[in-house]
Amino acid sequence: MKKKSAALLVVGLLAATLPFWAADQYQLHLAALIAAFWILIGGLNLVVGYTGQLSIGHVGLLAVGAYTFAILAGPEEVHPALAVLASGGLCGLFGLLLGLPSLRLPGFYFAMATMAVALIVGEFIMANGDLTGGGIGLAVPSFPAPFDSPAGFYYLVLGLAALVTWCTWNVARRMWGRGLIAIRDNPVTAQAVGVPVFRAKLKVFVFSGITAGVAGAVFASLQSYITPDTFVFELSLFFFVCIIIGGRGSIVGPLIGTMILTALPELVAPLAKLGNFFYGLLLLVVVLLVPEGIGRVFEVIAERLRPRRIESIPVRPDLDRLTRALQRPR
Amino acid sequence: MSSAGTAAASTSSAGDEELPAESQTGVDGDDALVAARITKRFGGLTALDDVSMSLRPGEVHGLIGPNGSGKTTMLNLLSGYYEPTSGVIRCRGEQLGRATVQRRAAIGVARTFQQPRLLGALSVLDNATLGGWSHSRAGFVATLLGLPSVGTGDRALRAQAAELLHGVGLGHAIHRRANLLEHAEQRFLEIARGLALRPRFILLDEPAGGLTASEIEHLGGLIRTIRNAGIGVLLVEHHTDFVFRVCDRVTTLDVGRMIKHGTPTEVRTDPEVIRTYLGA
Repeated sequence: MKKKSAALLVVGLLAATLPFWAADQYQLHLAALIAAFWILIGGLNLVVGYTGQLSIGHVGLLAVGAYTFAILAGPEEVHPALAVLASGGLCGLFGLLLGLPSLRLPGFYFAMATMAVALIVGEFIMANGDLTGGGIGLAVPSFPAPFDSPAGFYYLVLGLAALVTWCTWNVARRMWGRGLIAIRDNPVTAQAVGVPVFRAKLKVFVFSGITAGVAGAVFASLQSYITPDTFVFELSLFFFVCIIIGGRGSIVGPLIGTMILTALPELVAPLAKLGNFFYGLLLLVVVLLVPEGIGRVFEVIAERLRPRRIESIPVRPDLDRLTRALQRPR
Repeated sequence: MSSAGTAAASTSSAGDEELPAESQTGVDGDDALVAARITKRFGGLTALDDVSMSLRPGEVHGLIGPNGSGKTTMLNLLSGYYEPTSGVIRCRGEQLGRATVQRRAAIGVARTFQQPRLLGALSVLDNATLGGWSHSRAGFVATLLGLPSVGTGDRALRAQAAELLHGVGLGHAIHRRANLLEHAEQRFLEIARGLALRPRFILLDEPAGGLTASEIEHLGGLIRTIRNAGIGVLLVEHHTDFVFRVCDRVTTLDVGRMIKHGTPTEVRTDPEVIRTYLGA
């Protein structure tokens, strides 16, 4: 536990001081992109990694958030801060409308439903050219000072990403986290202890919609120009793969996954040429070698090298203690 | 979240052990979990045919019978997984007709499973704490925002679960991942999780399955302790010696019909029970 918080502190310090030691503007841009993706992936992680609902359509929500921001903050001249809130709110509502019919479907069909929505959003953007610019796209305004510089904007996105991380961490370590994992691993148990399975799924899904909307807004501003091609379906799979590679039921793992999968192809030129092949290969390697995810890779290696022997101790109830434990008021 | 309604003064039920099934439902009224004239059909198969039984607070009620006699069906009806084809289920006077499984937890009906259903990825402590879900007042938004009350409530439920784990004899394994538990440990963890509901009634589905003789002794101790705490225990079990030893009342089913209900001695000596189930 202590090692983890120390590592977290180091990562936090590195992230916070990045503008002072980054080699060039491009690295800063890349870091902001990772943070923007993480706003979405962090929220999606509760849906996929914790609740086990395989949504592969979040690029649709990202697009809705991005276009909402671009239209409101651009032609409509709404203050960007309000436009971000509107993006989050609208995508939360969108998540609710999407989740209501689809979250009752069993896994595979739910995934198909979310994929269909992602495709429909793309078509909708193309078809409504006078609102969205169609295939030509839209210019996206940047944020006002002090967020108009690359460093200022980076801090804004980093702050939002930290907020999302904190929120999901609050969920993961409390009763809600246990309830969500119960829905993922054993719905019958979840029901038996009183978890309202559908409503819990819906709440988490709406939260992931809000984060996707906010992510869309800052992502659009970071890109400064968006077209339907910005929101290809592969991006949705990319989000999903970041979580799977990072490991289910973890926050740090998917965060590492997001950083690696976003940064490596950009920083290592030969990997960029491989494109989707790189993602596919990495996914294959992780799923086959460390299905627990890269977040636990050191744990897994340590356990393989030095397997911990568990001593078999016969259960011996302490009935007096049980009696005392049962004497609590209902 | 105690929504079980009125705990009205009990029209007591002491001393009517001998009453036949139909009249029994009338006397157990107010503080018991009652299945009244339950029939359950699956397509053409009648799993339960006009069976009545009750589970009172502070008793151990055994439910025995050959395979396919409807024991687990009854347990699934009482815990809300099935809806009866006809008849009603009442808990403390409240009719539970269509109350979902989730609501039973809030009403105070806990259960365990024939095959332990644990969350292998979580620690033993987290598994047991999950049983306290219906006592957690933390909403999703409050949890997201990390409100202090959420942390306080969570710590209290963890502490309660830890006490229960020490009580059932899993103190040594509290931080172990649940998928590393041995069979008996899994069974006892299921019971601890059920008790974390702070139930009025707990339904145990073959808890002695796969346990060694000494582990069964421990299980008996647990069951008596739970009963003495005022909780009603339904024991669905094949292990008849064990049932006759720990139960206050026993109901015997055969192909969906009740063939005998009474004290362990009465049931054990009943010629019909011996013929259909116990053997000579």
